[in-house]
Amino acid sequence: MKLMRKGSGCTVRGLGLGALGVAVLVAGCDFEVTNPGPIQEQFLEESLAQPAVVNGMGRALAQGLNWLSYTGAAVTREIHPAGSTAAFGISNEWSQGELRTDDRNLDTHWNQSSRARWLAESGVARLERVGSDSPELLVQARLWAGYANRLMGEHYCEAVIDGGSIQPRTEYLDRAERYFSAALETASGNLRLAALAGRASIRVHQGNWSGAAADAAQVPTDFDYFVPYFSVGSDDQRNRIAWAGAGTPYRAHTIWNTQWEGYGLSNENPDGDPRIPYSYTPGETGDAAIQCCGRVPFKRQQKHPTDAAGIRLSSGREMRLVEAEAQLVAGNWNDAMTLINGLRTRVGMDEVTAANANEAWTQLKRERAIELWLEGRRIGDRFRWNATGAPGAFHELELPGANSNLVQQDFCFPIPPAERETNPNIPVG
Amino acid sequence: MHRIPCVTRLLQPRVERWAALLALLLLAVTVPGALLAQTTGTVTGQITDAQSGAPVGQVQVFLQGAGLGSLTNAQGRFPLANVPAGSYTIRAERLGYQAGTGEITVAVGEETVFNLAIATQALALDELVVTGTAGAARRREVGNTISQIDMTNVLEPPANMDALLQSRVTGMTVTPGSGSVGSGAQIRLRGNVSVAMSNQPIIYVDGVRIRSDGYAKNVPNTGFQSRSNNDVSSPLNDINPADIERIEVIKGAAATTLYGTEAAAGVIQIFTRRGRPGAAQWTIQMDQGMARVLPFGPATADRPPSEPARTSAGGRSEFLFIDPWLRNAWQQRYSLSVAGGREDFQYFVSGTLTDNEGVLPNDYEEKVNLRGNFAFFPIDNLQLQWNTSFTSTELSHTASGNNAHGLTLNAFRRDRNYASSEDREAIDPLLNQELISQVERLVTGATATWTPTPDITNRLTVGYDLALQNNRNLRPFGFALAPTGILSDRRHRFATLTADLVSSYNYRINEGLRTSFSVGGQMVTTETEETGAYGENFPGPGRPVVDAGGSTLGFESRQRVINAGLFGQLLFDFRDRYFLTLGMRVDGNSAFGENLGLQSYPKVSLSWVISDEDFWNPSWGQVKLRSAYGHSGRAPGAFDAVRTYNPVGWGQDPAFFPLNVGNADLGPERTAEFEAGFDGAFVDDRLAVEFTYFNARTTDALFNVRQIPSSGFLGSQLENVGELKNSGIELGANFTVLRGSRFGWDVGGNLTTVNSEVVSLGGAPPFSLGNFGWIVEGASVPVIRARCVTNAGELAEPVFQDDCEIGPANPTRIIGMNTTVSLPRGMSITTRGEYQGGHYIYDLAAFNAVTRSVIWAGCYNVYSIEQTQGRDAVPAEDRARCFLPTRADHHIYPSDFFKIREVTFNAPIPDRLVPGDSRATFTLSGRNLFRWTKPEFRTFDPEMSNNSGFEAAVRSISEHIPGPSLWTASVRVNF
Repeated sequence: MKLMRKGSGCTVRGLGLGALGVAVLVAGCDFEVTNPGPIQEQFLEESLAQPAVVNGMGRALAQGLNWLSYTGAAVTREIHPAGSTAAFGISNEWSQGELRTDDRNLDTHWNQSSRARWLAESGVARLERVGSDSPELLVQARLWAGYANRLMGEHYCEAVIDGGSIQPRTEYLDRAERYFSAALETASGNLRLAALAGRASIRVHQGNWSGAAADAAQVPTDFDYFVPYFSVGSDDQRNRIAWAGAGTPYRAHTIWNTQWEGYGLSNENPDGDPRIPYSYTPGETGDAAIQCCGRVPFKRQQKHPTDAAGIRLSSGREMRLVEAEAQLVAGNWNDAMTLINGLRTRVGMDEVTAANANEAWTQLKRERAIELWLEGRRIGDRFRWNATGAPGAFHELELPGANSNLVQQDFCFPIPPAERETNPNIPVG
Repeated sequence: MHRIPCVTRLLQPRVERWAALLALLLLAVTVPGALLAQTTGTVTGQITDAQSGAPVGQVQVFLQGAGLGSLTNAQGRFPLANVPAGSYTIRAERLGYQAGTGEITVAVGEETVFNLAIATQALALDELVVTGTAGAARRREVGNTISQIDMTNVLEPPANMDALLQSRVTGMTVTPGSGSVGSGAQIRLRGNVSVAMSNQPIIYVDGVRIRSDGYAKNVPNTGFQSRSNNDVSSPLNDINPADIERIEVIKGAAATTLYGTEAAAGVIQIFTRRGRPGAAQWTIQMDQGMARVLPFGPATADRPPSEPARTSAGGRSEFLFIDPWLRNAWQQRYSLSVAGGREDFQYFVSGTLTDNEGVLPNDYEEKVNLRGNFAFFPIDNLQLQWNTSFTSTELSHTASGNNAHGLTLNAFRRDRNYASSEDREAIDPLLNQELISQVERLVTGATATWTPTPDITNRLTVGYDLALQNNRNLRPFGFALAPTGILSDRRHRFATLTADLVSSYNYRINEGLRTSFSVGGQMVTTETEETGAYGENFPGPGRPVVDAGGSTLGFESRQRVINAGLFGQLLFDFRDRYFLTLGMRVDGNSAFGENLGLQSYPKVSLSWVISDEDFWNPSWGQVKLRSAYGHSGRAPGAFDAVRTYNPVGWGQDPAFFPLNVGNADLGPERTAEFEAGFDGAFVDDRLAVEFTYFNARTTDALFNVRQIPSSGFLGSQLENVGELKNSGIELGANFTVLRGSRFGWDVGGNLTTVNSEVVSLGGAPPFSLGNFGWIVEGASVPVIRARCVTNAGELAEPVFQDDCEIGPANPTRIIGMNTTVSLPRGMSITTRGEYQGGHYIYDLAAFNAVTRSVIWAGCYNVYSIEQTQGRDAVPAEDRARCFLPTRADHHIYPSDFFKIREVTFNAPIPDRLVPGDSRATFTLSGRNLFRWTKPEFRTFDPEMSNNSGFEAAVRSISEHIPGPSLWTASVRVNF
């Protein structure tokens, strides 16, 4: 292991030690300065360091997803604010559905997810340049690079790469597809399924429905691919949605006043959908008063039951819904409903019906909300459906209005002040 | 948490051990002195002021060459016992007075009376100072201003060093962090000279560099970094004020050049007491005090109709509803010291026990101070001085600040808190968090001064400052907000090694011209190490250890940095009234980048004692003109120059994150300063005036330049890109209005202005230092910038404007004032006050409360208007502050304040009440008894800081309580 160390023996860069002779004799001939811990960059070139480099990519992705999925869930009303506005809370602006360009609280989201993208891409480049003893390591690195780019492509209105100028958000999506495709060149097993599922989810955004369906078809329904979180005392490594909604220290969000209250599986609704699990202790409220409503009932999501619960990045059920949406796009709404109901009966829920394509689109949008709940995907879906003018309706509690307490609803995160104020390639104003 | 009663705790083994050690030490020192005494004759007498005839206390009276001396009491009287028969030269010395001498003859068995009148000297031009010069220099030779605190003039018993320094030095601000016991204070000399680095002055004690940055905050390594009392204590406060003889303070780069790459923020030199030849002089002092919190919120009578006078817990708006948990805190201190010696060996030994309660329920401070200062003269022309102090401190704190698990936050937020209730029963369980911080501190230094000829002096000082800190932070099993418990144990080691060598040679070229050449070197090695252990999820109740936790983590860090430099100084002295000093310091530092070589810092200063000129009429008084120009620096942090990755782990696996971009060209920032002014004594030495104009410019200023996040490195990188300037004046005056043998009246005042500006950002974008403090070209350093209301006073909805520059974050004008009334029988009353103004502060606690719909006392006036006249009658700015949706930006307030810092009554206890030759003094002193702020400043205290304590780059107000007022009664006995 290389420690940070400067100088050695009795020489420290020509300090005029002659005049200090007496003092040196007294103080001992030791001019070594040390700072063990931080690692100098060249060490990362060594093969023994490569697993830690790739793990860093995974952790960075987990942290970026932590921030974006939680705030995105509040804006799209997958959850309702219940308390704290700072620390692990939801700010008043986000509570109202607002994602403002001048909101410095959004710097962290950008910083974390940008680091995930940069770390993964630069790490892949390093592995490709110096070679890797483990081919699987390179596949994993490319997967992290693909998911990091998907995270940004699904959340941000525009893209910035490595301090460059602003580009369309599709730049992230295009990069994600390239990394997933590169991973598929040598991937096998679950990593191959994850790459296929990841690429299918990207092709949905790109409007490449045939490509998306072809990838999705290769992924079995029961496949899951998670990014892990850890309860090791470090808040950065905890599942933020779980931790912020824990009874202690925070009860910052609730299922109360969302479309899932009374629908999901809970102690107050034992026949509810198991894909939307939550719990409720009568009388319990969020940890603090919130701007719209004062103290509100605390109904805790249980999809992420602990702060060590992983967040799903891809699944076979998502792939069935990709296939269903491809069918809708192709005008085959009955086939789409069959796929949707296949997922519902799989978990013991009643089938839903549609009398026409419009209603089928409504059911697809709702089913994606259920399957991908609290996985950081809803805001991306809302953006693309809004952009393409996809048919179908939404529940009133996920739309702006007096009941939802949403004043407006932004479907993408802006490039925040942290980037705008430091990047010379972004014009001021 | 239950606290053992104070008296019982004082008898605990830990304190007992130190008391026994102190007693042994004192015995060892004094017995030889007693054996040396001979019973032959006595000398008594009185020292009086030559102008007024009033007695002068604290005068050192000694027989030259006999090793006998004494200290005068408040009546100016002194005794010298056991004086061998013979003739002597007797000498009386005290800072601020010209020394006086006389001849006496002592006969066996007789009492010889010697009375002497000594004259005040407002300027003391021939007094030696050592700060800012290579070796010692006379005041008349020095071209920069040097402030001095003479402890004989400090009548109050200061609670700690921060209290001692506060409002006593022109151009210095001392700002406490909070009302937590042991809270350290931020010290600034002429404002900020750096944006990225510490602005805390560096500190020397008897020539030994000691740590000046704060101790570590007691918070777990992991988790939300506010599960703490959110304040830091200051190593400066480990020094016992009673051990100090005098303090020298130099401000600005023109004066600090010879201290090199870390001195741009100024230097504080502390000189501790020394023994004098003579019999052992004992001093016993006992202080008993009571601290209490002044109101820091609106009056209950101002509440809106909807609000009750008290909360369910009994809280009132004057204290933001926390008063049921506040207490009048008993503070006590016991000191014992002895000083004496012979011509070839002198000693000063002291010990102090301090036991202070804090005003918050879990707060207490126990401190043991021991000191031994010894001087040896083994051969002619060689003096060896060995000074050592040891301090053992235990601090217990109440969780406070912006801490959801803390008392203060949950009390301030009333029923919108984390207990969902403002009831006492709901909040009391939060007091179960234990925050214990222990520090053991050793400062030892030896100085050898060799004077082979009268013109050559060599001085070598080697010193070591070692502080071991243990922070233990426990939320026990069953704690309301962490039911399975959390324990953190962090151990810190802070060490500073100083080696300092200086040689001086005086050479007289001709009758009128003398030179003094000094050359030397200095090396300071700083080590900081930490090991931390963390455990959570304990299996059950009981006192846990870390490894009993279901999850455990370990942390470690260690750094070692060296700064070394050479310096030379050449002084030309023409006719003892014109002085030119040229100096240069050359430094290397392990924190510099690879491409950077040694750094050189020049200085030049001029001094002209114009009142010594022939044309000067002595009745005009005495005046010294002075000016100085010099450079100083501030080094970047250790290893800021290197590109690094951080091993962060991911679950149980290793992982790397990018950490530091690195900068091979990184070097120190350089501050060049010009200062000019004069020192004068007028009207028969009744009026002393000091004036200084200063103008400093910092180039290559170190800025934490934010990196572009999309480039992967999220932190900022230090770069030498900026330019700052800082200018202002310092004016101080003291006037003796009345000078009589029974009554006297002195008044004094000082004015400091500080105008700072960011001249250039070097192409870097404006950046935030947090708490709305920004670095923006053309604005002050830093400026408070936020969204503001442009129609503040209008009865309308607020109209907003982004990025308003509201005002400086630091005071731009400081006015101090003091007066002392001398009364018959040696009694006196002293009062000191201080005003600071022109600056602004962000009140995070107010925003946090209002945004959570707390009925906030700071908005009582607004609620009253709304409830009685309707919302339309509320001005726009108040709507933005007190109605939802509010934003943090609207909770920025003017910080102007005036405080009565001190009122002290001092009286000698009549001799008939004191046995034998003992002399005793009674002092009653009150601190911070009154606070005035602007009407808009409705809650808390402008002298507060946030979760970073005094180390905050930009102070703000978080959920702390303000520093309390303090009354102390003290009895001091000398024998």
